[in-house]
Amino acid sequence: MQGSIKRLTSRCLIVAMVALGTPMPYAHAGLIPTGEVSAVQAQADRDRVRAFMDREDVRQQLQALGVDARVAQDRVAALSDEEVARIAGKLDQAPAGGDSVLGVLFAVFIILLVTDLLGLTKVFPFTKPAR
Amino acid sequence: MRYAAALAAIALALLLTACAAPQTRALLQGPSTGLPPSVELGHTPFFPQERHQCGPAALATALGAAGIGAEPEAIVPQVYLPEREGSLQVELLASTRRHGAVAYELRPVLEDLLAELAAGHPAIVLQNLGLAWAPRWHYAVAVGYDLARGEIVLRSGRERRQVMRLDTFEHTWARGGRWAILALAPGRLPATVREADYVSAALALERTGPAQAARSAYAGALQRWPGNLTARMGLGNTAYALGDLAAAEAAFRQAAADHPDSAAAHNNLAHVLFRRQRHAEALAAARRAVELGGPQEAEARRTLAEIEAARRKAR
Repeated sequence: MQGSIKRLTSRCLIVAMVALGTPMPYAHAGLIPTGEVSAVQAQADRDRVRAFMDREDVRQQLQALGVDARVAQDRVAALSDEEVARIAGKLDQAPAGGDSVLGVLFAVFIILLVTDLLGLTKVFPFTKPAR
Repeated sequence: MRYAAALAAIALALLLTACAAPQTRALLQGPSTGLPPSVELGHTPFFPQERHQCGPAALATALGAAGIGAEPEAIVPQVYLPEREGSLQVELLASTRRHGAVAYELRPVLEDLLAELAAGHPAIVLQNLGLAWAPRWHYAVAVGYDLARGEIVLRSGRERRQVMRLDTFEHTWARGGRWAILALAPGRLPATVREADYVSAALALERTGPAQAARSAYAGALQRWPGNLTARMGLGNTAYALGDLAAAEAAFRQAAADHPDSAAAHNNLAHVLFRRQRHAEALAAARRAVELGGPQEAEARRTLAEIEAARRKAR
């Protein structure tokens, strides 16, 4: 509530300042607030998680687990920004491809971690699904 | 019958071991952590608590240590809920920000809490002095510790210097969810700082606190992480809010250079250039913002339309 009042006031102030400088037919333009910049970050995180789920080796693993890739993607869409950021953080630890036995094992580990967090599997005792 | 008693005793013993404070044990018996053996922030002010008002007293203590003078009486209406005879955690966070300090929540790790004390940052802690099923909530301010003695020093209630066994403290703290926050002068980074957490704290300060304080917090974040887009944009937006258009322009320019794909950076740069009557440059930046699209495309289009209209008029 306070935030929206504040936003309204700042919008009005910007409009007033702009209007004082030059008479403006389009007075709505303004700065994009800092909070929405991190919304861009959130979108980037979401895209990264989606791209990860679309990777060929990941899709194969999901299939082996009996997880429908589309259901997984839907689940990603339903997560909050914070939850997506948490999963995206896990992806940084995932190897780029399954080029070694260890790499494959680790990729499986990360996939299971992600599907656990999505609430699709329950492999690890320490994960709490986001929903 | 004797067996039953013996079994009960064993069960109780097991229960007590299970209750041992794990983080305290790791700290006191584990390998050296690099923490100084003992610390006490003796200059931390003290506000003896009035009745149930430990929240305002703790907050005034922490703010005072950060160099922000505030009397508990002035904080009471902001955080004290008479019906609940206490203060909620979120309200302590909000009030910290209203006073122009960065409210930074620590990880729930005892070692982090002590590391902050070693760095000179007293921490507000939430304790449950009762039992899990019969809670007695209490806010105190941790101001020191002594590892050899296994003790922590608190400003607590009406006690200026409460010395508590570290494991006892851990129990009460764990029952309060291991919640600890710092109230920091903006720009001063916690010893255990993590980039995303600090930038979020600065963003929360921008939303609800004084713009100047948020500006300093962003500047502090950028000294450590010069490439952080949110902090750079926050620096520009707060400078703009304070009427410092030159600084706002510099920040947005830097943001657009470091993050050429950020539509927000180009849009805000366009906007501030336009305000500074540099219409040609503003037009180029606004066009770039529109090209990049994304969730802020509508805003970018409005900026572009505004600039184009002004140019038509000027002709």
